[in-house]
Amino acid sequence: MRKLFAALAATLCAVAQTPTRTVWDAVYTSEQATRGEALYTSTCAGCHGNSLQGGESAPPLSGVEFFSNWNTLSVGDLFERVRVSMPLNKPGSLNREQNAAIVAYVLRFSKFPAGSAELPQRTEMLNDIRIEMYKPEVKK
Amino acid sequence: MKKFTLLAAVVAGLAGWTALRSQQGARLPSTANGEWPYYTADLKGTKYSPLDQINSANFNQLEVAWRFKTDNLGTRPEYKLEGTPLMVNGSIYATGGTRRSVVSLDAKTGEMNWVYSFREGNRAAIAPRQLSGRGVSYWTDGRGDDRVVFVTTGYRLVSLNAHTGRPMGAFGKDGMVDLKVGMVSGAGRQIDLETGEVGLHATPLIVKDVIIVGSAFKEGMTVATHNNTKGVVRAFDARTGKLLWTFNTIPRPGEFGNETWEDGSWATNGNAGVWTQMTVDEELGLVYLPVETPSSDFYGGHRPGNNLFAESLVCVDLKTGQRKWHYQIVHHPIWDHDLSSAPILADIVVNGRAIKAVALPSKQAFLYVFDRVTGQPVWPIEERPVPQSDVPGEKTAATQPFPTKPPAYAKNFVAIPDGLIDFTPEMRAQGLDNVSRYKNGGLYLPPVVGNSQIVAAMELGNAAGGTNWPGAGYDPETHIVYAQASQSSLFPLSLRTPPEGFSDIRYVMGRNDTAFRVSEGPGFGSAADAPQPGRPAAPAKPAAGAAKPLAAAPAKPVVAAEAPAGGLTVQGLSIVKPPYGVISAIHLDRGDIQWQVPYGETPDAVRNHPALRGMNIPNTGQGGSVGLVVTKSLVILGDSQLTTTPQHPRGAMLRAYDKATGKEVGAVWMPAPQSGSPMTYSVDGKQYIIVAVSGGAYSGEYIAYSLPSGN
Repeated sequence: MRKLFAALAATLCAVAQTPTRTVWDAVYTSEQATRGEALYTSTCAGCHGNSLQGGESAPPLSGVEFFSNWNTLSVGDLFERVRVSMPLNKPGSLNREQNAAIVAYVLRFSKFPAGSAELPQRTEMLNDIRIEMYKPEVKK
Repeated sequence: MKKFTLLAAVVAGLAGWTALRSQQGARLPSTANGEWPYYTADLKGTKYSPLDQINSANFNQLEVAWRFKTDNLGTRPEYKLEGTPLMVNGSIYATGGTRRSVVSLDAKTGEMNWVYSFREGNRAAIAPRQLSGRGVSYWTDGRGDDRVVFVTTGYRLVSLNAHTGRPMGAFGKDGMVDLKVGMVSGAGRQIDLETGEVGLHATPLIVKDVIIVGSAFKEGMTVATHNNTKGVVRAFDARTGKLLWTFNTIPRPGEFGNETWEDGSWATNGNAGVWTQMTVDEELGLVYLPVETPSSDFYGGHRPGNNLFAESLVCVDLKTGQRKWHYQIVHHPIWDHDLSSAPILADIVVNGRAIKAVALPSKQAFLYVFDRVTGQPVWPIEERPVPQSDVPGEKTAATQPFPTKPPAYAKNFVAIPDGLIDFTPEMRAQGLDNVSRYKNGGLYLPPVVGNSQIVAAMELGNAAGGTNWPGAGYDPETHIVYAQASQSSLFPLSLRTPPEGFSDIRYVMGRNDTAFRVSEGPGFGSAADAPQPGRPAAPAKPAAGAAKPLAAAPAKPVVAAEAPAGGLTVQGLSIVKPPYGVISAIHLDRGDIQWQVPYGETPDAVRNHPALRGMNIPNTGQGGSVGLVVTKSLVILGDSQLTTTPQHPRGAMLRAYDKATGKEVGAVWMPAPQSGSPMTYSVDGKQYIIVAVSGGAYSGEYIAYSLPSGN
């Protein structure tokens, strides 16, 4: 029984743990972001602008205001916002792969580094990646 | 007209509604009773309540009294809740959700009394002004016939029984008036009742037994035609819905101002609606209409002339709708300087002379002040020469009006170099380098045809700067206007020729050296009835969740959010020098600014910027346009941005400022930025403040704050 409690506690800790990676850990590929850029152009730029600067009523997807909304949240939070409500004129019309590609493009636009593995499509895995506007200092 | 299905329109549960109305005599709701019966508190647009239970001594003790989440008022959550509820006789009335439902809540507990929604199908899905809008209006005969009135996403005027939420059958047809009937384009062609372009976010203006309704259209950046629906303001009988009068904001032949549409261009251009709140002087019987931009927003080559009554403040007779006077704020508008804010009616004393004034806040951060009887400026407004356009076919006005008093209450252009970021010499240098690719020249700098050499004209305070739809407030006792304004809302304004077949407009927003992209407006296509195709299954791809980070991220950059070279940001920060937003107290008897302070607090992006570590940076404030409440002693408004500071966890603060000094005297935490203007009311001796919050990952919610019991 004690082992069961210990296992349960460990599981709960795992569920509740804070993200272990950040967007500075090369969490998407350049190819994925390029696919995302094409999707962004056709489905997002109308409201959010060519340079992700936002429009009269659509918030920016880069810069101070974007990071005000998303800094310290997870990429999963951002992905879910896109998945549930975007694009405004056809919510839900993009699949997970497409949404992940668009999020990858948003990350690339803000010059977070690309890597060798694509941004995951599953929200629970994206929840493990924290959005940090500034690169965290390496702890010595 | 397509037949619509009314599904489950009314849920009228209503436990416990008690008619409090006196049967002995008429009782009209008022802020004097602790109510908030109009979007702007009263018909004069003041946003003023005399309540003072919540004050500087206890504001920090506020706690959440109740909250109302709007996620299920539609097919999906709304992340842009902009409403300001009303409180009349113990009940809250508000709109919410992607369906723009109307709810009645218990003002003390937030418990739902009733909810009303109308399913409009495609008519709402393609409407130009979507989501939940700004709220509702209230009408009463003072003897028990109490109604809640609002405009649906699909532009229907609906009158509901305030006690039950059921449509008032005697109003229009089955409780509603189809506002698209009578809307025209061209020289008078009725628009299609299903697909015709018109909508409205603002609440109707109700005075006496008259309901006055404006009109709004698609954003005009990249639209298909300049000959879209024409703006109007119309009045309807509050009991029956009968049309009483119509004011054409684009005057027809024989009407005053028609000649300002040269070459007969009145007949081939549209827009010029009134999309924000109107105000009325009940005693004088005068209504004040803030008119917006004509089509298209940034190119006027198809409409030579000054284009009355576009971007004009128009005063009309309440009974007839006939023009009494007007003042055009921008001639031949090509910047999207819509008259964005409710005109404020103020009885002031200037040099010993009592004046019934109307003060108009603006995107330009000018407060235009007129004698509201005659239309004469209280202080001179000078016509000054402005730069002229070199865009083919465009003929800009030679001069534009500049108020001499009060001074602009926020920046409305970026001075070069003094107005640029200067946290460090490097940042200033990069800012200077960036703006070298933009045309600069002050307010009313015309748009340019953008290319790789000059990408745009750099504008500040046109599309979204200064004071936008939330408007300002006014203390009728001290004669002071309180206005929040953004002074960091830069707008790179450039034009390009549209792709073949896209538009009949010669120039639309964009650049000739980049791919053409259609720019949509606020929430376009986001109503609850917007199509939601099933999500196709994701193609088979290897799970990438096990991705390993690269061994070493690049040493540089360490600053994200850097815009492309030459953009209007510098190392991720705004290229303009702070403060990014301000709150101003403007004394209307003197025409000067009594105090001005930064609005909100320094964004995390500045506070945590690697290049600024160790520096002592004064409060930069925040950009964005938000609404406020004025009480007996406070000015109350919330942050537009989320921050995380040593004083509070990640969140936004609802702040109280001392009316006399501008000093911040209290703040209470909100989970998301303020997205709708706050209001205040009192029930059973307890004062509440309600504010709409939403944005980013946080969906729309009304939060009511009050002091702890026993306080």
